[in-house]
Amino acid sequence: MGLEDQLQENVMTTKVDEMVGWARKNSLWPMPFGTACCAIELMATLASRFDLARFGAEAIRFSPRQSDLLIVSGRVSIKMMPVLKKIYDQMPEPKWVISMGACASSGGVFNTYTLVQGVDQYIPVDVYIPGCPPRPENVIQALMKIQEKVAQAKAN
Amino acid sequence: MENQEDRETEDVGGPESEPGPVTTRIRARFGDASVSTGNAVGCESVIAERDALLPFMTFLRDDPELSFGYLVDVTAVDRLPLDQEIRFAVVYQLYSYKHNRRFSVSVPVPEADPRIGSVVSVWPGANWLEREVYDMYGIVFEGHPDLRRILMPDDFGSYPLRKDYPLHGKGERDNFVF
Ligand code: SF4
Repeated sequence: MGLEDQLQENVMTTKVDEMVGWARKNSLWPMPFGTACCAIELMATLASRFDLARFGAEAIRFSPRQSDLLIVSGRVSIKMMPVLKKIYDQMPEPKWVISMGACASSGGVFNTYTLVQGVDQYIPVDVYIPGCPPRPENVIQALMKIQEKVAQAKAN
Repeated sequence: MENQEDRETEDVGGPESEPGPVTTRIRARFGDASVSTGNAVGCESVIAERDALLPFMTFLRDDPELSFGYLVDVTAVDRLPLDQEIRFAVVYQLYSYKHNRRFSVSVPVPEADPRIGSVVSVWPGANWLEREVYDMYGIVFEGHPDLRRILMPDDFGSYPLRKDYPLHGKGERDNFVF
C-alpha cells in the first residue's frame, strides 16, 4: 500500500478514540478531596513506596480546574457536600470520580445526623473502594479500573 | 493495701466535705447560702446562679487569691430524662496558672427560658466555646458579640446534642438543599 510503504515504521494507524483514551488514561490528574483519615492512606499511595506516578497519576492538583479525577477520601458532612459539589462542577469534562473508603461510599460507621450517607447521592461515582481505610493496593486497583474506563471513553 | 486506705480517707466530695481554699474564699465573699459547692477528687466545683453570673465570674478571675485567668472550656449538660428540676446546666472549666488550680462552675438553665449571660467580656476565649454550646444545645448567650452557629450549617434548625434529638437526625442529612 503506497503511503504506508513509504512511511514504514514511522507511522502507526489507529482510531482517534483509542489514541486519546490511551493518552488520557496514562496522564490522569487527580484532585484529592481529603476530609478524614482515608486521605492519609491516599497520601501513602502517592508517596514513594506505592508511587502512583507509575500510573501517570502523580500530578496531584489542588485546583479542580486542572484535574480530571476526583478522589473523595473521607467523611463528607452536609455542610461539606456543597463544597464537594462545587469542586466537582468546576472540573472540566471529561471527569471521573473515585469514592474512597466506607465513609465516602456509604457513611461508614457514622450513621449520624450530619453525615452524607454516600456521596453518590449527589455526584456520580465511577469506582468505589471498600475498606476503612482502604490499603494503598486498593487505591491502585481503583485507579487501574478508572484507567480501563478512561480508555473506553469516546474522545469527545 | 496501703493505697486503698489512702483513698478511703481522701475527700471525695458531697455537701458535708471540708471546703477547699476556693470554696472558702467564695463563701467569704458571697456568703454561705449564695452558692452550693462540692469537692470531688481534689477538684472543687460550684453551682452558681445565672442571674449574678458576671460579677461572680469576674470575681473568680480578678481576686488575687483565685486568679482564674484561663477559661479552659465551656460546655453544657442535658439532664434528660429529667432527674433534676432544671434541664440544662452550662459548665465552665477554669484554671489558674498562678495557683496551679482547677475549678468548675455549673450554672443551671431551665428549658423554658434557655438564656444565660455571655462571659466573653470576662474571658475573650469564651467566644467560640459559647457559640458551640449555642449550636449544640440552643442555649442563648446574651451579650455575645457574634452568636452564630459554629459547626452546623446556619439553617440547620435543630440542636443536635439535646438528648431528645434522634441520632440519625430528623431527615436533615437526606433532605438538605444546596
Ligand atoms: S472509611 Fe474509615 S479511614 Fe476512611 S474516612 Fe471513614 S473512618 Fe476514616
